[in-house]
Amino acid sequence: MQAMVQTQNLRKTYKHADGTSIEAVKGVDLEIHQGEIFSLLGPNGAGKTTTISMISGLLTPTTGDAVIGGYSITKQPLEAKRLMGFVPQEIALYPELSARQNLLFFGKMYAMGGKALNQRVDELLEFIDLADRQNNRIDTFSGGMKRRVNIAVGLLHRPQLIYMDEPTVGIDPQSRRRILDTVKQLRDEYGMTVLYTTHLMEEAQELSDRVGIMDHGAIIAMGTQGELTQQVGEEDRLEFTIGAQTVTDELIERIQNKATAVTRVLYNPPEQLSEEGSESTPARLIAFAKRGRTALPLIIQILDAAGIEIQSVAVREPDLEAVFLALTGRALRD
Amino acid sequence: MHAILTLILNDLRVFFSQRSNLIGLFVMPVLFTLVLGWSLGRGDSGPSRLRVDLIDLDQTDMSARLIDELRAANDALLLCPLDNDADDICGLDGATSQQAGIVAPSNSEDEPLHRERAIERARQGRTRALIVVPEGYATALKTFQSVSIEYYSLSDPMVPDSILQSLQAVLQRVNSASMTTGVAGALLDNFVHATGLTVIDAETRNQFLGELYLRAQQKLTEQPASVRFITTNAEDANAGPENGFSQSVPGMGSMYVMFTVLGGMAALLRERRQWTLQRLITLPLARAQILGSKIGAYFVRGMIQYFIVFAVGAAVGMNFGRDPLALLTIMSAFVLCITALTFALAPWITSEGQANGVLLLLSLSLAPLGGAWWPLEIVPELMQTIGHLSPVAWAMDGFHDLIFFNGGFGDILPELGVLLGAAAVLFVIGIRSFKYE
Repeated sequence: MQAMVQTQNLRKTYKHADGTSIEAVKGVDLEIHQGEIFSLLGPNGAGKTTTISMISGLLTPTTGDAVIGGYSITKQPLEAKRLMGFVPQEIALYPELSARQNLLFFGKMYAMGGKALNQRVDELLEFIDLADRQNNRIDTFSGGMKRRVNIAVGLLHRPQLIYMDEPTVGIDPQSRRRILDTVKQLRDEYGMTVLYTTHLMEEAQELSDRVGIMDHGAIIAMGTQGELTQQVGEEDRLEFTIGAQTVTDELIERIQNKATAVTRVLYNPPEQLSEEGSESTPARLIAFAKRGRTALPLIIQILDAAGIEIQSVAVREPDLEAVFLALTGRALRD
Repeated sequence: MHAILTLILNDLRVFFSQRSNLIGLFVMPVLFTLVLGWSLGRGDSGPSRLRVDLIDLDQTDMSARLIDELRAANDALLLCPLDNDADDICGLDGATSQQAGIVAPSNSEDEPLHRERAIERARQGRTRALIVVPEGYATALKTFQSVSIEYYSLSDPMVPDSILQSLQAVLQRVNSASMTTGVAGALLDNFVHATGLTVIDAETRNQFLGELYLRAQQKLTEQPASVRFITTNAEDANAGPENGFSQSVPGMGSMYVMFTVLGGMAALLRERRQWTLQRLITLPLARAQILGSKIGAYFVRGMIQYFIVFAVGAAVGMNFGRDPLALLTIMSAFVLCITALTFALAPWITSEGQANGVLLLLSLSLAPLGGAWWPLEIVPELMQTIGHLSPVAWAMDGFHDLIFFNGGFGDILPELGVLLGAAAVLFVIGIRSFKYE
């Protein structure tokens, strides 16, 4: 399959005034194929936005390069940028202007004009279902409507590749559903390549042909969902939300010994009480087992005997969350 | 270039779509220009000439000549009640006088302009001064006796008084002519006494000296005036050195250009915060195009601000001098300098509050320091020197050269050099430290 995006040792280091430096992206090597949806999945601060910003030409890499459709983003930025559309996480629109004025302006920046531009703007307004609100100022729109216009700007010049940086942040479920459908439509109907970043496992699972999991500035796993879940085996994940009682190492050992299907147990103790004395994050006990539903009663029995209060239980099939947990020892939402 | 123009137009569209900007661009500058213009001068209402009461108690040819001389020395003088007209330009409320001074034969309704009333008028600020030519003025001159011209004014003794200067220039000529005649008379008498000859009788002698006095005065009048007052057409009600708009229009214009253009610091910050600047960077545009368009947009805003304030000047009939191209050039140089200052400061600004603080601090300090609120000529020399640390001072110097002194392009070259030099240095700093990321 032909590569639309290739990155080589993409690295970004920020230097602070006090002389210290922080490496936000630590040598990312990626290959995104033409016509696929590739998701970068990782918690906030993993380096997804920095990576996408370097690939889109917004940030200059400290080292490394990205090649977009055969053009280097550092050496031939204008050629590379003509091939791509960018949908940033922020609503990068002029709030004082109407939806149509925003689209017309950005269209002109792509050297479009006249009747062709007007037709394209009409098409996109229909596509995002905002034709009836096209002359309203952006600052009168809801979050979801702004997101849709934000996406439309990235699609104006019919790019071969579109970057979408967490496009569903802060919107209602209905708008989110509409955006996810739009992303799939871009690939299925227009053959567009999509680089999609998210911290939501469900989105990555629903949309992606392939996923790159990022943590602390590096890609720690990459492949199709099947390939990734195979990395953590066929284990179910049993999640227990428990009370404030302390889970000792001895108790964890007992669970692993008595419930033979259990391969591993992770314990996240509760956080300290906040200053106001409000409740903190509850403790979680996570057990990985080959046959989760069989092991479940036994684990409950052991916890009960130890006087651990069980507040809730969830059994999860292997998924990207499990992959992340297995690789980092932390949940994505942590 | 097309992309740059589109970006500039978009910036202007965004700018004009915010109502608060319209208030800052139109309402406030127009209001302050009018208020300051009318405060500093008379604006477009009332005469622009210097109203002076003149009481001639001597009523002789020589006193009349003195008055003519005074009029010739400063054509901005409106000598009352001599120059009064049907519209009562002297503000005498019906009181008239057929002759200089006084006590014109009046009917029962008319009150003559006597000394007390004239002094009261000067005290109330209805006239700039009162000049009284005493009775016996001509006789005193003919007999080379001392005589005093009385001068009443409320003007600050520390501030140059153009009326007093005119009077002193005329009196200097009168004194010189009188001195010449006196010396000639003494020489003649010495000669007669030394030779014992009776060359001429006393009547012929006095006639000769009288002629000599007139000729001496004529000769002195023909010489270049010792005091030169630069005025525009004194008949033009809105022209002349007393017109406050000649100060308020360029002054308020320059100050509000600073407000408008330096506001770009907050605008750049806002663009970064709302990610429109970052989005521009991901478009197929060179970074120089983006930066050039931002510079262009702020420059255009500054020029629009100047045009608005100068349009107020045009509306009240202000005289812009003889060289509009030079006026446009000094405006452009100042706007460019402030645009460069905006870009030099913007990288160091981290919040809109900080941007607004810097904007107020700079505008409200550099503007008065540079003579935007009042002419720098009235402040001590040290402050004038310090004031020239402000670009406003150089712009105001340029405007004064063109508007007050009717200068041309050549007269503003030093000011242009300083403003463009400062702009170049500030642009280098600003462009090198501009934050794209």
